[in-house]
Amino acid sequence: MARSRTYNRRNILIIVTVIILAALALTIRLGYLMIFRSEEYAAQAKALHERERAIKAQRGSIFDRNGVEIATNKPVCTISVIHSQITDPERVIKVLSDELGLGEEKIRKRVEKVSSIERIKSNVDKEIADKIREYDLDGVMVDEDYKRYYPYESLASKVIGFTGSDNQGIIGLEVKYDEFLKGIDGTILTLTTAYGVEIENAAEDRIEPQAGNDLYLSLDVNIQKYAEQAAKKVMEAKNANNVKLIVMSPQNGEIYAMVNVPEFNLNDPYTLIDEITKQYEGQTLGAEKQNELLNGMWRNACISDTYEPGSAFKIVTATAALEAGVVSLNDTFYCPGYKKVEDRIIRCHKAGGHGSQTFVDGIKNSCNPVFIEIGARVGVDKMYQYYDRLGLFKKTGVDLPGEANSIMHKKEKIGAVELATMSFGQSFQITPLQLLTAASAVVNGGNLVVPHFGVDIKTPDGETVNTLEYKETSGAVTKKTSETMKELLEAVVADGTGRRAYLPGFRIGGKTATSEKLPRRNGKYISSFIGFAPANDPQVIAIILIDEPIGIYYGGTIAAPVVAELFDNILPYMGIEANYTETEITKFHIGSFEVPDFVGKTKAEVKELLKLYAFGELYPIGEGDVVMEQFPLPGEKVEQDSNLILYFN
Amino acid sequence: MSRTAGEINKRKMHSYYDYSLLFLTLFLVCFGLVMIYSTSSYNAQRVYGDATYYLGRQALFSGAGILIMLFVSKIDYRIYIRNLPIIKIKPVTGLYFLCIGLQTYVLIFGDTIKGAKRWISLGPLGRFQPSELTKIAVILFTAYIVQLAPRRLDKFTGFLRVVFLIGPLLGLIVIENFSTALVVGVIMVAICFVTSKKKGYFIFSGLLLVAAGALLVFFVPYRFERINVWKNVETHPKGYQILQGLYAIASGGIFGKGLGESMQKLGFIPESHNDMIFSVICEELGLFGAFALILLFILLIWRIFIIAINAPDLYGGLIATGVLAHIAIQVLINIAVVTNTIPSTGIPLPFISYGGSSMMVILFEMGIVLSVSNQIKAER
Repeated sequence: MARSRTYNRRNILIIVTVIILAALALTIRLGYLMIFRSEEYAAQAKALHERERAIKAQRGSIFDRNGVEIATNKPVCTISVIHSQITDPERVIKVLSDELGLGEEKIRKRVEKVSSIERIKSNVDKEIADKIREYDLDGVMVDEDYKRYYPYESLASKVIGFTGSDNQGIIGLEVKYDEFLKGIDGTILTLTTAYGVEIENAAEDRIEPQAGNDLYLSLDVNIQKYAEQAAKKVMEAKNANNVKLIVMSPQNGEIYAMVNVPEFNLNDPYTLIDEITKQYEGQTLGAEKQNELLNGMWRNACISDTYEPGSAFKIVTATAALEAGVVSLNDTFYCPGYKKVEDRIIRCHKAGGHGSQTFVDGIKNSCNPVFIEIGARVGVDKMYQYYDRLGLFKKTGVDLPGEANSIMHKKEKIGAVELATMSFGQSFQITPLQLLTAASAVVNGGNLVVPHFGVDIKTPDGETVNTLEYKETSGAVTKKTSETMKELLEAVVADGTGRRAYLPGFRIGGKTATSEKLPRRNGKYISSFIGFAPANDPQVIAIILIDEPIGIYYGGTIAAPVVAELFDNILPYMGIEANYTETEITKFHIGSFEVPDFVGKTKAEVKELLKLYAFGELYPIGEGDVVMEQFPLPGEKVEQDSNLILYFN
Repeated sequence: MSRTAGEINKRKMHSYYDYSLLFLTLFLVCFGLVMIYSTSSYNAQRVYGDATYYLGRQALFSGAGILIMLFVSKIDYRIYIRNLPIIKIKPVTGLYFLCIGLQTYVLIFGDTIKGAKRWISLGPLGRFQPSELTKIAVILFTAYIVQLAPRRLDKFTGFLRVVFLIGPLLGLIVIENFSTALVVGVIMVAICFVTSKKKGYFIFSGLLLVAAGALLVFFVPYRFERINVWKNVETHPKGYQILQGLYAIASGGIFGKGLGESMQKLGFIPESHNDMIFSVICEELGLFGAFALILLFILLIWRIFIIAINAPDLYGGLIATGVLAHIAIQVLINIAVVTNTIPSTGIPLPFISYGGSSMMVILFEMGIVLSVSNQIKAER
């Protein structure tokens, strides 16, 4: 560069300077990207690298009032395929369709779909999943997870409800308390290459799932079982469509049992029960019909279906009349067997009429004309005021989804005829639970309670998170009326239409009803009974509805004994002791005695001895003549009418 | 330089040799091999079942390239512009016509890869990209015609004469490879710029070049699309590769994820050992690593600059300038592309990116620069 060195140098320097400036600019750009955009882009990149796998949160269990688990979880598996890792698709399709019992086409579609992960089937039993795992197929993933499991299967099925495959409640309490029960799902984040292959040894990001909280109910498994047995027995005996039975504490609204037989198996909720399939035998059901039938099967009729309460509603009418002061217990009425209201003749259930009777007799006889009369005395305005106080215009607020409301006349459209029919529980509809709640308020001193199941929400460790509270409204009925009503209703059972609910040793109050279903005169009835005990201090109240019984359909004849049977079982269980009156002891052979020693006695001696003691049945076992062993053992105290077993040589 | 200044020997002609430039080059080549292994091992394993597949090939070409560089550095560069003894032709003129021939050949018979006809198949040796060879030709030939009459460059007509002579090569490249044509054009302009005393017409011709470039961009749909991609890199479907590069760069942060720890190289950046290698360097070595690499390039350019201004004659100075411009423009464009500073165009990062012809050509050029340094006489 001999002669031109100076300007050549300068020119090259210009170029180099430009280069350095450009490099500087790019460095700044890099700095901007790597410092200020770093987080944003890194997060986007990470989202690309990570494959997310959800870890199902364990759903909270449901316990009854004694801590018995009635809804829990059991381990099951989810089978998925990862398209990019499958090496032998035909084998995968074959194995999965054989083991899972799914159509080959269905699995082929999933296997051949280009996606990062495709779920084949969830809720697979662990044994089947383990079998699939043993094949060790590339690209097939077996994830363990939990499935909802109901140890008592059909117990209170329509109340408890069940969950769907993604762990959310579908019906019942599972829906109502879903937010407490479901917990928060966790995730496993694994790093993968662009081809979807997981990178080994890469640190997995794991967000732990949070188990759901446990729900403690007021429901009592034993009472529910008794109630279901009793309901099922009467349903079968009377060939009824269904039987509803609710057992509740009238003091605070805690529901002990809610039965809708036939119940269905909660562990298999998508299979129609025999009672339904029987009706469609030989028919192939379309998907839509199938769905409709399933929804019907899941329906909790105790809260979702309304009916005409019939005579049981006379509890409300009587209460209103007493509250309004338009009737006193000794007022006399005359029943000729019908009553004319405007141009209409309304008949009493007793064709010949009850003749002359007091108000107390009117209730005991469930006499329609008496109630038409007192209903008219109360008047529409007052009547609706008392309905309102007893919560008959609004839903009870029970903690179950799908509660129905009453269907009432518009107040301004009620004429004398409507008022008359309303007085004995016709021409409007309410739910069984609404009636039970209103009756509770009548007998508990006037507190309108909110019927409910949920009591406590606790963490899996047993720590209480939330004690559920329900707002009671007091003053629905005055104490005085309440006391009177308890006496009147006890009289109905003691020696009125409800006498078949009578249970020696217990004071039971109640009211029968026989509602004719609409349309009238087609011979379809709902027989019902509402009863409570002890009548002086009600601890339990129950309502039973027998839908379309065949044969005898009077509530007093077929519904009342079911409640008596139920109370006989549950009252001692609930710690309510029998307290026999003198007459009851003699009449029903009440009392206990000491068992004598039969061992060594001959048959003849035994026969003599038995005359002195009030044993029930004798069960002799063995052919010999001399007693070798006995049960109960000598010296034991037993109730009268207890059975005796003797072992002969 | 300090060494030249310090060892003045009046009696003996002492040849200078720029060892720092040699070591810088060797260092960059070795660093490039490390990064190629890091970026390509996953894909090599996946496709060829051999994690060192790309590393092995690149090492082979680098080794050969280094031998060529050392050999060329010992040849007096002035030999290229002297007539060969028997055929009476200057090597530089021969190379010029060879390149025109090869460029024409490749347009007719070349292998088409990814829609571009740029390669001549050499059987088991892989493929050869004649446009790479053209870069050497342009450096040597431009420097040659310019130094024949450097004063002419003071006028626009002198510059036009150079453009006219280089034009055929440029034209043959631009048909299939806009980015290489750009590099070649910059080399040519840089050499002319250094020679010229008057700068006015460069602004004028610069504008002309921009206009021509704009025509080439806006009337060729796939180039115009790249502008759109550049502007909407995060949303445009074809912005995938650049966006993946940005993810890599940005997720490196200040200190990087550590050598070998890149996630983006695992198939997210397609062929991350090629043009996009700088993004993985950023991801693994962080801002500091990337800045260190840029500094190394600047240092390399600085060494070439020192050699250029101390060259024994104008020709030596001009070819050094050409090499300097070549390396600088490739580094700048490559980094600008991966950082989405300019629309994407495929230019490899010198010494680092995978590619045999590119590596060997660059090392050949370094040999020429070293040869220029070798001709600096200590006594001058």
